Amino acid sequence: MLKAYEELRKRAEEAWAAVERPVRTLVRVPVATCSVPGGALETLDALQREVRERGLAVDVGTIGETGLCWVEPLVEVRKPDGSVVLYQKVTPDRVAQLVDEALARDGVCRDLAFASVGDLAVEGVQPLTDVPFWALQDRRLLARCGVIDPENIDHYLATGGYSGLAQALEQSPEDVIKTVQDSTLRGRSGSNFPTGQKWDFLRGKTREPKYLICNADEGDPGAFVNRILMESDPHSVVEGMLIAAYATGASFAFVYLRDEYPLAIERMERAVEQARERGLLGDDVLGSGMKFDVEVWRGAGSYVCGEESGLLASLDDARGMPRIRPPYPADAGVFAQPTNVNNVETYSCVALLMQKGLDHYNSVGTERNRGTKIFSFSGHIREVGVLELPFGFPFRALYETLYPEPWQERPILKAVQAGAALAGILPGHLALKLTMEPEVFREQGVIMGGGGIVFIDDSACIVDLNIMFSWFLEDESCGRCTTCHGGTQRMVEIFRRIASGRGREDDYDKMGILGQALQWSNCVHGSASPTIMLKSAEYFREEIDEHIVNKRCPAKVCRDLIRYEITGDSPQLPEAAAICPTEAISQVEASSTGPAGWRIDDARCIRCDACREIAPEAVQIVEALAAPVTA
Amino acid sequence: MLETEATLEVQQLIAEFQPGSADLIPALHKVQHRYGYVPKEAIPVVARQLHLGEAHVYGAVTFYAELRTIPQPETRIDWCSGPACRLKGGEHVRRALEAVLGIGMEQNTPGDKVGLHLAQCNGTCDFAPQVWVNGKVIGPLTAAETIHLARELKGNA
Repeated sequence: MLKAYEELRKRAEEAWAAVERPVRTLVRVPVATCSVPGGALETLDALQREVRERGLAVDVGTIGETGLCWVEPLVEVRKPDGSVVLYQKVTPDRVAQLVDEALARDGVCRDLAFASVGDLAVEGVQPLTDVPFWALQDRRLLARCGVIDPENIDHYLATGGYSGLAQALEQSPEDVIKTVQDSTLRGRSGSNFPTGQKWDFLRGKTREPKYLICNADEGDPGAFVNRILMESDPHSVVEGMLIAAYATGASFAFVYLRDEYPLAIERMERAVEQARERGLLGDDVLGSGMKFDVEVWRGAGSYVCGEESGLLASLDDARGMPRIRPPYPADAGVFAQPTNVNNVETYSCVALLMQKGLDHYNSVGTERNRGTKIFSFSGHIREVGVLELPFGFPFRALYETLYPEPWQERPILKAVQAGAALAGILPGHLALKLTMEPEVFREQGVIMGGGGIVFIDDSACIVDLNIMFSWFLEDESCGRCTTCHGGTQRMVEIFRRIASGRGREDDYDKMGILGQALQWSNCVHGSASPTIMLKSAEYFREEIDEHIVNKRCPAKVCRDLIRYEITGDSPQLPEAAAICPTEAISQVEASSTGPAGWRIDDARCIRCDACREIAPEAVQIVEALAAPVTA
Repeated sequence: MLETEATLEVQQLIAEFQPGSADLIPALHKVQHRYGYVPKEAIPVVARQLHLGEAHVYGAVTFYAELRTIPQPETRIDWCSGPACRLKGGEHVRRALEAVLGIGMEQNTPGDKVGLHLAQCNGTCDFAPQVWVNGKVIGPLTAAETIHLARELKGNA
């Protein structure tokens, strides 16, 4: 093993020992995008204040996120005896109780205890491995998330970090590429292109300089897989890029990071800085003579820049309009130089693969897809969060765990939307037959994508969802291809018309024609944009027909097909009238048209639902049942 | 190009950026960071520094959703347009915001007191439906809570 690496590691292990075996109680708070909104920073402040004011012999620190979004703000308490307890929903007002019961004396705060971590059992506290959500996982890529301080390179080094780079530097670049090829690793953004093959393309190019790009423009709505890696284990991404640079001969990398992830930008920049300070980046990486550096490049809000050639155009000082291929990036990428583009999770996978070896990496998964994949879950589920699952994991087991109630009481799983706006939508009964593997999704005509999975129950309207997705695609179309910018506009028009009760029988034919025309777009943004529309027409025809034929929205969502009406009495009605932002609710005297009481002026009502929230027993959503509207 | 105090200031601000070095967006970010938006007057300066046409720079400014051409409001409300928010009543939140504030997305109230911006999902879906007030996530919001929030911001404005 490289001497320079051994020295770094030795130094790091001392720093890490203070965390693993603290001499006095150590309290750590996850600071990440999913914990901050719940008050993690205020909790951290309150903990520091309490400890200081009471003069307790306790250290306070920070860690990354675990992926257990729904129990944030989380607090981890490590005691010198080796016990580690996680406390859940520790909002600032609960800090005093936690300090009283778990820090000021040697005990456990039972009200807030969530789980114990590690081998040492804590009486009355369930082990983390017994938490159903957690137990589904095989945490490899996420092994350090929520465990190390992501702003401390020593924590990464001491837990095996950068050993993958050290291993790689002692092999030939060709051998590294072979290992990546043998692992079956394919692009984790949803493209599924074999990573090793991509690297081999760049390896073969002789024109210098060669570039690497880390695609961190995770714009898929509902996907936050790459965010957790960059915020909670940023060095794994840097290490993956270093290994790729060694294998391909690239000398510089851009991390194209979306503007919406300010904390990820901060953490990645810090990681790059620290790696430079330790000689892991620069003119002589670990004394091996290799030259490589990384720039974290902040995007400016554009979905289509997640498409590889759009990203390259964006880096080349322009609008992020996807280019016509060929040439492919390996021939002419950024600045027209040979370039390799991989996404964040792919680079993390490479770091894991080189650290732990091929056998470990390949020990789980399916024949076609070895290893694990990170997924983020949102929508109509109880437990929003991030999980790492082996490829081939059954979707049904996942759903039943995310929805812990008995089946009968569970709302109907109407649909599942994976891989965001371009990837398609499946009805619940088909989704439950899936296993988490790209090919299995593709057999159903949808794409697994980057790992964002949105659960949809029957309170949602399929027409409304199509308006959302098609509008998003229209808004984010770069505008180059008429098929795309015009086609997505027509999609929006069709669904808006259906939602307003002006749908036509021949709208299905129009969807079909659009679906074909959009195939002639230059990039996947255009060609995949009709997927959700077509899948909806295939699987949810009955519901769309209700809108077109009977002018009814079964889920009571489409605003032109519903009306808010006061059908009962409630002492909250004056409050409901006061909340109405358009003053649509008023009290009327008895007249020939009806008795005295509260009325909603339908012409003013904007269907914001506030009055029904306040007086649910008096306000109802009724079908507008408008006379058939001619288009 | 006529040099004024303002253009000289922009010139100094972006002096580090070079043509052909992936510097256009970083330069525009820096301008926006300084002024809260990309003022029209800054576009020729950026174009000259990076050897690009003014139309090219303007094209980029208007292409990217997070680059603004109107001043940053005192209070900026980012409304999340993502699917998890939509499923949990995000449209109600949007309708309430627009009705109370009397503006649409990408607009500011008179005097740039409060502004609305259509934002993309950042993955804090546990808080859906949500808005970000000057970057701080607030959610899950009911329509009634949204109306109280918007009235309060408007009243303070």
